[in-house]
Amino acid sequence: MNNNKRRFVITGLGVIAPNGIGKEAFWQALKEGKSGIRKIKRFDTSQFICKLAGEVQDFKPEEFLGTKGLRDLERTSRLLCSAAKMAIDDAALNIDDNNTDYIGVCTGTTLSSLWNAAEFDKGVINDGPRFTNPSLFPGMVMNAASSQVSIRFNIQGFNTTISTGYSSSIDALKYAIDFMKLRRIKAALVGGVESLSLANYTGFYRLGFFAGINGEEISCPFDKRRNGIILSEGAAVVMVEDEEFATERGARIYAHVNGIGNCFDAFKMGKYPPEAVGLKESIRDAMKNSGLAVSDIDYISASANSVVAQDKLETKVIKNVYGRYAYNIPVSSIKSMIGETFSAGGLFQIAASIGSMYKGFIPPTVNYEYRDDDCDLDYVANKSRITRIRNVLINNYGPGGSNAAFILSKWN
Amino acid sequence: MNSIEAEISKMVSDILEVEVEKLTPDVDFFTDLNVDSLKAIEIVAAFEKKYRIIIPEDDIPKIRNLGQLIDYTKTIKKSDA
Repeated sequence: MNNNKRRFVITGLGVIAPNGIGKEAFWQALKEGKSGIRKIKRFDTSQFICKLAGEVQDFKPEEFLGTKGLRDLERTSRLLCSAAKMAIDDAALNIDDNNTDYIGVCTGTTLSSLWNAAEFDKGVINDGPRFTNPSLFPGMVMNAASSQVSIRFNIQGFNTTISTGYSSSIDALKYAIDFMKLRRIKAALVGGVESLSLANYTGFYRLGFFAGINGEEISCPFDKRRNGIILSEGAAVVMVEDEEFATERGARIYAHVNGIGNCFDAFKMGKYPPEAVGLKESIRDAMKNSGLAVSDIDYISASANSVVAQDKLETKVIKNVYGRYAYNIPVSSIKSMIGETFSAGGLFQIAASIGSMYKGFIPPTVNYEYRDDDCDLDYVANKSRITRIRNVLINNYGPGGSNAAFILSKWN
Repeated sequence: MNSIEAEISKMVSDILEVEVEKLTPDVDFFTDLNVDSLKAIEIVAAFEKKYRIIIPEDDIPKIRNLGQLIDYTKTIKKSDA
């Protein structure tokens, strides 16, 4: 690794996951292999064959945000603002008029505004356009949640929302770091958020993406039974800082961003390119940028989400990039426990990997029972593994053509 | 306070997140309660939906407190009668 290059570090973390709220609860759940996938309570599922989701059921936003102003925040903003509050507190960064222009917000989200859009439209249809509730309108835009973070915490450096589907989280991270490289900002809250709603659930269901439509309703990445995703929700936010800024203010540093690659390889609507070239190039770029050797990667946090093609292709790409050494690298998918959080997936993988570094474990791929010949790597089946972790490769990809890979390295 | 007044107080207090007791008839929405334009629109919209009427644009700035909003209801009731 080139020590002369500027580094960008993670100093704070906030997580609201289906299997744990707050970093400690989340890490503990992952270590125990505890799943957050359960029967949906938010809406009636009697019309669906599928009944499960990674629904965050015990979230009380007032614990993080107080009650004042909560009424103005729709669910996505409540999730993101609460996770952001945790990340700011965890980073012990005091945001004030002197530094607000050097701090930004970058959020990965794609589906989250659907709830507001659906409710607003329902009002227009049921009550008529003259009587619909105008307060739902601001939340209909994709960047509503990200903007609420800036408003609530007075962050004025920049505010951007990245909506690249499965790879949104890492694309958002890269965007924020590029801003830092340009010396436009010194720190950024990088978040990923999605919320579960009848609208997005119905959409994925009708497209046939869910586990349970053609098989068992289970999130079992790499397992032979896999047949689709379990949709999920939540928010994860990290505070990323220019190393110089973080060390000057004496911040506790978790990890540094050691290399990012992203590559677009759109193929056909909803289909994966047969060789997953984009993911391959993303991993190669991330490795090249990091300067690490193949044997330096201690663990791969997979994007595998229990979709037949996705898990198979990710396995193939890992073998292609790492050669025979791929069999020595533990690979696991936390989506077996939290489901597919879509745009937030990468941030949850980052949050989990920081836990891996500090608590010394690799989260398991739970529900792994039946081996598939196309997926033959070490998937850390069902039980977490106690080990020392320094460098993690995090993959983010899906059938939309957006791919990203990122290497997180333990601080010193 | 009659039932219509109580209904309107409750509606406004929910939107502004102010306790009903603190929402006296003459407390000014804008200067005392920091109501912004979006909140004002929300109050107007909730009121219009509840009573199925449209408040003319020119009348909106005249409503600055709960007392005036309640008085406005009375003018509608009268014109309805």
